[in-house]
Amino acid sequence: MASRATIIPELEKMSVEQLKSIKEQSDMEVNLLQDSLNNIRTATNRLDLASIALRDLSLRPQGKKMLVPLTASLYVPGTLDDAEKVLVDVGTGYFIEKTMEEGKNYCERKINLLKSNYDQLLEVTSKKKHIADEAGIVLQAKMKQLASAS
Amino acid sequence: MAAASSSSSSRELQKELEAKANDLSKIQKDISKNHQVRKKYTIQLGENELVLKELDLLNEDANVYKLIGPVLVKQDLAEANANVRKRIEYISAELKRLDSTLQDLEEKLNSKKEAILKLQQRIQAGKAKA
Repeated sequence: MASRATIIPELEKMSVEQLKSIKEQSDMEVNLLQDSLNNIRTATNRLDLASIALRDLSLRPQGKKMLVPLTASLYVPGTLDDAEKVLVDVGTGYFIEKTMEEGKNYCERKINLLKSNYDQLLEVTSKKKHIADEAGIVLQAKMKQLASAS
Repeated sequence: MAAASSSSSSRELQKELEAKANDLSKIQKDISKNHQVRKKYTIQLGENELVLKELDLLNEDANVYKLIGPVLVKQDLAEANANVRKRIEYISAELKRLDSTLQDLEEKLNSKKEAILKLQQRIQAGKAKA
């Protein structure tokens, strides 16, 4: 694309110092963006698990015996009550009672939102990475020039 | 005599330069703190707007609960809506305030940089004469 090809002559015009600082800055930005990408992937996985759990729950009949977690290592036996209503954590401390169908819907919506965010972020990240790589290449070329000149 | 007085005045200039450099780094720390608080508020704003969207999708009779400490308390949908909207307003106002503070800080940063530059030039000029 034209925008990518025109970076290189811009970078060539700069001094070694500027190139170094541009490369460092771009590298930092790429790292931050990669972290965000990982976060989104983790969140999407959690939502996927929630969605799977919901689907499983909807298959269970009412009154089915189950083990209820009280802590991470303590479970007590119980029976499944109404699986038609689920409480959804929507953020900032608010929980909304929804039907099983709405709950599954919610998970789907959130997963789609996260997937589109992930795609957008991926695009930005790859552009930044490209700039960082180009800066690195031009920097190395310049340093070789200086080394051979001196 | 002239050499001694010029070296002492250059020492003063150096001290002034140090003081100004300290001010500069303080301003930069303030700016980065501003950025951090801004990030926190922006995240909260986003979260609250998501909640508002979910609440808007609900029927009148849907049940909404709020987590207050370890207690899940049933809330009225209208009340929950009002609370979330108020929170969004508050956060937006805070963000605007932070924006104007940031602008002030950046102006101060630039003027400090200029002052430092001028000082450095004076010091250089002083050294050139001596």
